[in-house]
Amino acid sequence: MSPDVTNIALIVFKFFVLFGFGLYIVFAAVIFRQEQLMANVLEESFEPVLRFAAGLHFIAAISVFLLALLIL
Amino acid sequence: MPTVFEEKKKGKILRDPSVFERTIMTPLTSFALSPEGVRFETQEDEEEVVLFLRQHLVVLLGPLLLVVFLALAPVSFFPLLSRFLVLPITIPVNYIIVGTAFWYIVTFGFALMSFLRWFFNIYVVTNRRIVDIDFVHLLYKEFSEARLDKIQDITYKSSGIFSVFFDFGDAYVQTAGGNIPNIEFLTVPHPAKVVKAISELLEKQKSSL
Repeated sequence: MSPDVTNIALIVFKFFVLFGFGLYIVFAAVIFRQEQLMANVLEESFEPVLRFAAGLHFIAAISVFLLALLIL
Repeated sequence: MPTVFEEKKKGKILRDPSVFERTIMTPLTSFALSPEGVRFETQEDEEEVVLFLRQHLVVLLGPLLLVVFLALAPVSFFPLLSRFLVLPITIPVNYIIVGTAFWYIVTFGFALMSFLRWFFNIYVVTNRRIVDIDFVHLLYKEFSEARLDKIQDITYKSSGIFSVFFDFGDAYVQTAGGNIPNIEFLTVPHPAKVVKAISELLEKQKSSL
């Protein structure tokens, strides 16, 4: 395979990877928002921990996207 | 003449039974009589939670095992697989780094989602009604309630070796009237105690009328 074809293939692959990671960021945002709505249903002392976990997951999803953008 | 000394009367100290029986909630509580610090959506001011239920912890066993497998796969399963599979191309290191990071984030997301579904799927018995809040999946919530005076029948079912060993089962609350849904407590701990608690509540309500 010539270097040009390989480069084009890698760029296309990178695009699909970033697109997939972008979709996952949306999913992580949905989980974060849904956790807030669930917390309205049940008030419990453990809820701040769950909100932190959901927020951490969302930030991690964005971080992986940025990492992929930089190093791939 | 003023009393100088009065002998303390010996006997049982009577406590308010409702206070004595209160259960302190933890993140993994799945059965709680008169729980402390719990309020749910649409709970009225004078309404008290008598019984709080979630599904038995055993339902988290499957997701937990899967999470453990997913967490260990990049360090154990994949290196083993790469020895036996002969790939036509070499995967660049930066793709391995990003792929591994994404793998662990997806694993964490799956664990979080499984826990959230278990944590917020609750069954509540109050001094006025029975409430069933189900999150079938993250974006679908089902809220069912039945007033105590509409309850006709309560039964429970517990079958299989695991349900006998871990004491969990299904409790069914049949209601009067076509518009009021029957309430099902699925895979709850101590189903016999659940039925007993609801029966006692119904008797108490009938005797107060």
